[in-house]
Amino acid sequence: MDIKNRQDSLLITEPPVEQPACISRRDFTKKAAGISAISLFALMSLPQAAFSWMNGKFEEREDLNDGLKAIIKTYSTTEPYPLKFNEGLVRQHLRSLDFAMRKGVAKEHAEHFVYVLGPVLERHIKPAVAKLGKGIFLWGIFERTGCSYQLYEHINIKEGERTFACPYKRPLEYHNKEIGTYNIKWKDVCANWCSLTWNGFAKVAGVEIKIEPGETCKVSVV
Amino acid sequence: MEKLNRREFAKKAFGAGGLLTLVTALNFPEAASAFSGPEVLIPSNKFLNRPDLGDALKSMYMTYDSTTPYPHKFNETITKHQLRALEFFVTKGLDKEYAEHYVTTMKPVLLKIKEALAKEKDPDKALVALIDNDPCYFQLFERIKVKTGERTFPCPYKGKLQDCKYWLGTFKAIEWKDVCNRWCIPTWTGFAETVGIKIKVQPSDDCTVKLA
Repeated sequence: MDIKNRQDSLLITEPPVEQPACISRRDFTKKAAGISAISLFALMSLPQAAFSWMNGKFEEREDLNDGLKAIIKTYSTTEPYPLKFNEGLVRQHLRSLDFAMRKGVAKEHAEHFVYVLGPVLERHIKPAVAKLGKGIFLWGIFERTGCSYQLYEHINIKEGERTFACPYKRPLEYHNKEIGTYNIKWKDVCANWCSLTWNGFAKVAGVEIKIEPGETCKVSVV
Repeated sequence: MEKLNRREFAKKAFGAGGLLTLVTALNFPEAASAFSGPEVLIPSNKFLNRPDLGDALKSMYMTYDSTTPYPHKFNETITKHQLRALEFFVTKGLDKEYAEHYVTTMKPVLLKIKEALAKEKDPDKALVALIDNDPCYFQLFERIKVKTGERTFPCPYKGKLQDCKYWLGTFKAIEWKDVCNRWCIPTWTGFAETVGIKIKVQPSDDCTVKLA
């Protein structure tokens, strides 16, 4: 079975039977710091360096209280299920996808996301891939961008592979069970949003990826 | 403002003020429970009981540590994604239906709010339910100023749309007024009608939603 996911002929692989190996906090820090440091130095040597990478200004921010209040409000809400920092964003993705699917424009909807982020991919990720190899692509679309670290709870990092808990499953299952106004099912999110957008990003960057959707989703470069 | 060095701060904190507060607090059985150790306080505190706070704080740290080309905030992605979706549906001529879809898919929740309002007979509770306590809003608006019958919050879309237009250059179909007229106003008005209240929206850098 061809397990490569291409934007034009999408195949979803079965969820992995085995849970991915856990990574200890120490190993995670080592790997993250190692990969990030290498990537950062390499990217800084590129003509147009990555702009919004963490730049050590956290303590200088005067608006931390707003961020902290949002977290406290969010994590103090445990009914009907414990809310997380990504709740509003996840609901928005699901709602937009539900509407796009009803209107038969889900593919264009995902392509539009790739299109609007195209300049970032062209400007930063594509040159980085050319210079550092395809492994950097995952760094670029996952731990490097707010679109991911404000969406995924934690991203497990392995060379050429990222795994993370699917943020959509629980809120969608709750909505479908208790509110019942969406047409979409969980598999629609994998097939019509995540896979399409990630494959779209990969295509722009000139990389091929393999996606293994599951409660723990796995994305690896091929 | 007077600056305190670390030593002076510690002196003041643990000196008369701190000790007096502690002694006073210990005289009140209920208040003193907070000093009895985490086993007393934590069971009743939902926030402190969450085992997943580390992930939230990491996300917050990564967000607020990113200050170029502009300072990122906790609502960075939710704002950007809403603008992106609106931009897409405007180009498809589907924006009106997109806003209606939001109201329609929320209808069962809104009807429960309507039911609760009918019992409580306090229309401000509608604003509490629709804005203050909805994660789609308290994770979107930086500060919600609460007055009875009125909520004011800084528009999260204006600056972000400018950022997207400038840094990405791929947002071409919508302007700030479109966000107000094609998204915020139709959805809020739709929610309000469904829960049985009337509102007036005054879009601005600080947007106001008032009971009409």
